[in-house]
Amino acid sequence: MTLLDAKNITKSFGGLTAVNDVTLTVEKGRIVSVIGPNGAGKTTFFNILTGIYKPDKGTVVFDGRPIAGSRPDQIAALGMRRTFQNIRLFGNMTVLENVLVGMHTHLHAPFWSIVTRAGSVRHEEARARERARERLAYVGLDDKRDALAKNLPYGDQRRLEIARALAGEPKLILLDEPTAGMNPNETAEATDLIRRLRDELGLTVVLIEHDMRLVMAISERISVLDYGTKIAEGDAATIRSNPRVVEAYLGKGATA
Amino acid sequence: MATTTPPSSAWERLTEPLRSGPTAYGFLGLYAAVCTWLLLTNPRTSLGTDIVFVLFLLLVLFTFRSRVARPFKIGLAAALLGIVLPIFGTLNPFYIDVATQAGIFVTLALGLNVVVGFAGLLDLGYVAFFAVGAYLWGILSTPQLTEINPAWSPVPPIMFYPFVLLGLVAGGVFGVLLGLPVLRLRGDYLAIVTLGFGEVIRVLANNLDKPVNITNGSQGIREIARPPLIFAEPLRGLGLRFDDQQLYQQFFYFAVLLVVLLTMIVVSRLKSSRIGRAWEAIREDETAAIAQGIPLVRMKLLAFAVGASFAGAMGVIFASKQLFINPPTFDLLRSINILAMVILGGMGSIPGVVLGAVFVTLLNLQILPRTATVLREAQDAGFPIPETFDPTQYQRLLFGLLLILMMIFRPEGILPDERRSEELHEAQQAQQEEPPPEEAAATPAG
Amino acid sequence: MSPIVPMLYTVRVMAAEAKATTSPHTGQRSVGEIARTVLGPLLQLLLFIVGAAASLGLLVIVLALLLSASTPDLLSRVVTILPQVIIDGLVRGFLFATIALGYTMVYGVLEFINFAHGELFMVGGVVGAYVGFFLDRAGIIDGFNPFLFVVVVVAAGMTVSGLLAVTVERIAYRPLRNAPRLVPLISAIGVSLVLQDLARLFMTNFPTSEPLGFNARYNSPDYGPPLTLFEMNVGERSVPVVLSPKALIFITVATLMLIGLNYLVNATRLGKAIRATAQDMPTASLMGINVNQIISLTFLIGGALGGAAGALFGLNVGAVNPYMGLIPGLKAFTAAVLGGIGNITGAMVGGIVLGFMEAFVASYLGLFTGGAISGAAYADIVAFSMLILILIFRPSGLLGEATTTKV
Repeated sequence: MTLLDAKNITKSFGGLTAVNDVTLTVEKGRIVSVIGPNGAGKTTFFNILTGIYKPDKGTVVFDGRPIAGSRPDQIAALGMRRTFQNIRLFGNMTVLENVLVGMHTHLHAPFWSIVTRAGSVRHEEARARERARERLAYVGLDDKRDALAKNLPYGDQRRLEIARALAGEPKLILLDEPTAGMNPNETAEATDLIRRLRDELGLTVVLIEHDMRLVMAISERISVLDYGTKIAEGDAATIRSNPRVVEAYLGKGATA
Repeated sequence: MATTTPPSSAWERLTEPLRSGPTAYGFLGLYAAVCTWLLLTNPRTSLGTDIVFVLFLLLVLFTFRSRVARPFKIGLAAALLGIVLPIFGTLNPFYIDVATQAGIFVTLALGLNVVVGFAGLLDLGYVAFFAVGAYLWGILSTPQLTEINPAWSPVPPIMFYPFVLLGLVAGGVFGVLLGLPVLRLRGDYLAIVTLGFGEVIRVLANNLDKPVNITNGSQGIREIARPPLIFAEPLRGLGLRFDDQQLYQQFFYFAVLLVVLLTMIVVSRLKSSRIGRAWEAIREDETAAIAQGIPLVRMKLLAFAVGASFAGAMGVIFASKQLFINPPTFDLLRSINILAMVILGGMGSIPGVVLGAVFVTLLNLQILPRTATVLREAQDAGFPIPETFDPTQYQRLLFGLLLILMMIFRPEGILPDERRSEELHEAQQAQQEEPPPEEAAATPAG
Repeated sequence: MSPIVPMLYTVRVMAAEAKATTSPHTGQRSVGEIARTVLGPLLQLLLFIVGAAASLGLLVIVLALLLSASTPDLLSRVVTILPQVIIDGLVRGFLFATIALGYTMVYGVLEFINFAHGELFMVGGVVGAYVGFFLDRAGIIDGFNPFLFVVVVVAAGMTVSGLLAVTVERIAYRPLRNAPRLVPLISAIGVSLVLQDLARLFMTNFPTSEPLGFNARYNSPDYGPPLTLFEMNVGERSVPVVLSPKALIFITVATLMLIGLNYLVNATRLGKAIRATAQDMPTASLMGINVNQIISLTFLIGGALGGAAGALFGLNVGAVNPYMGLIPGLKAFTAAVLGGIGNITGAMVGGIVLGFMEAFVASYLGLFTGGAISGAAYADIVAFSMLILILIFRPSGLLGEATTTKV
């Protein structure tokens, strides 16, 4: 079943076409990677999928609904969550609170019940905390739940971003360079976590990544962008042997 | 969540016994007894009484900051604010009036804190919502209504109570009306536009005496109705003889105290709810917040409406208490005053904002006039102080300095929100190292 | 980044040019080129002046025709005051334009709203009032050369306000340069309040024997009677259209300052350094530009322009007070936003457009409503409503480039 179907996406900034006629189809339960040199338009593409930018052209269908033009919060509420390349946590909130914010769309306590602190609200809040701690435990951060997010070590911040995304109970999770800046040890742990997201939680994962070993190891499909255009698509073996990819990517000395 | 941090500084270690354990009970009890005795035996307005009064209010704060049993806290605070202060008020009406005014500003500051402190939206026209509530009751409860249409007659004074709620609603509605167009704006633009809005409301109040006399222009509205004293008879039955003046003082004191308590409860519940977390997330990082499914405009509107509704309700009470309102009551300086309360106390911190509001009110009503008296005495004694210099007339200078100094040296306020304190300082270093997140995400890289 | 547009150099081009101009022979620009960069914006400004005057004039005439059924002499009354309203609009417009330049320059470089800018304007006015005051006390004001007087007050206002702006930046803004956006803004609000009261303290206490006072008269030499530009024949009456010499001075000096600023920013090395800093502060600093110095300079220029505007305003109106800066400051900010904040020509254009709008509302609202509504009071509301509308529908302003919203 197709979960995400982005067709012919084009987006320009001024004179620069950042994403040019890119099509990406993601089957449910897959791990798909989008790779390409720096400036190839990968993050812009993510920003279009999540509604931060409106595409100039093209359609996005997520879980059977057209979403191009929807607001980011609406898209997030439909079950598409993301992490950010440059880690955007709520630094002055605690780790637990960050995850609770991620659960926003699943908390429904009405204003008046909150003000009167109705029993239902206390119940919902207690359940939410419990769920949030489960999520934290899943990524291995439960013991740090009371720390401020900004005080976490780098690798933990990446994991917290994933926990926060998981808190929204997404169908699809978009990870923007989840291992950037990590040492080999941390990268191995992150790879394992991503695989578990799919295998244990049944999530569909779309990944932007520079670490080729990781990409080749876990992706079922890989799309390659260069100068905003998709130049190749296929499984790891296909991509590895594609001369255009080698030229665009490795030929330019990008880390492989 | 809030883990008890071990005392760190020498001062904290030294004063720790006063805040927890049996010594704390002793300290608070003794402190309360001494203050009460001093106030009740010597209620005459003087510098000494001023100081004791401030110490008395500080005691309430200490009580809440100390780690004593909850029932003791609540009991002591209730006794101080519900019994000692009103009795003292019957002996000297000036101080209970100060306390009432402080309460009014605590509510306003808590309301503004929702907007500025929680959601991070700088609103410089906040007093406009206060004006809306005040004019609502001012116009509808007085013959001013007949000016608008001779067929209408003022609402009866007993309607005061439903009108407090109506003021709440009216404030909220105005909050949404202003918020809808402007909340998409970036922070600094929002500040200027809200300032403009505040001015527009004031100019309207000043000029809506023509072609139809709605607000009575710069003359203001006089003889605003007060609710009937339904409790006067039972009190007399108890043998307590107060004149109406005193009864109204007590009435407004307790009315304001009640609203303050309700406001504090509402605000702190919101703060620890999904709504408060969403506000805080928006303040921290809008893009990340929206990616969690938080509808930005709706949540900001809610913050605006909640903040404005407190001001609207308090406006009704204020108009009735003052009996008279006019446009200058609601000028920019008043908005700045309330902002100064929030900033001084600590943006986002409920105890901080309460402290800030009380302090600034005391500054305006007690400390500055007292300083003026002292200066005048010094002048008479031959000190070379210019005759024209009257500290009560230099609020702008004082609050201006306060804003600048707070921003430079302690942007998190006196009693910062525990989790926010580090933010404002650390952001300065963090931003130098990496580009602001907005741009990093905007560059079409990837 | 915030552009001091319309010169959208890329950083690379800037660097190359900076290198080029270090050699005295290659950096010379032709006189024609300089004239173009300096006078081009002025032509644009002239276009907006004529356009605003014509379209608003047409609008009131059409309105008068539509309403003339009920009030027969409305049209003639509308036409009679029209030239005077246009002149009034011009004076107001230049006032807002000169103040708006300070906002826009600082915003262009720091993306920071210098809330205290209106007070720099006020200080300029107060300094001018003191100059007149002392000349009067010395008993020489009547014989004083009126043009020399203008030069003296403008120079004094510029110097004091300019230096004050630099000091304020150094003390209250620079320590907060990397703090969250609202922090320096709140500090600026504080500065604005402090300056208001400091000016008041000063005016009511200095000189001790006979202080200037809160509502201070602005002494100036006699500039002679108003110039009658032409006579308008309306029906049987003949109405003179007059321009006061002070208003003429205001417009002339303001225009000269605008030309000067355009020259400075667009045709000198210093201007290039300012533009580079506005484009990209870290890169500019890597190119060897002393960013702190440039920021101080920006405040100096902006403050000086505000001070000059204040001195001229006081001269034109004849009175100053310590709180007079706030509302013109807000309006000038509106003008800057209207024109596209960060854009120098835009600030001027925005000032002119706002000035005309206000003058028309102030004069005609009462006329059209039969005196029921005072136009002067509602002029303020028009200004702020315009600010809100512009920010909502065209936040980049009239001349600003439409930029993609950054996330």
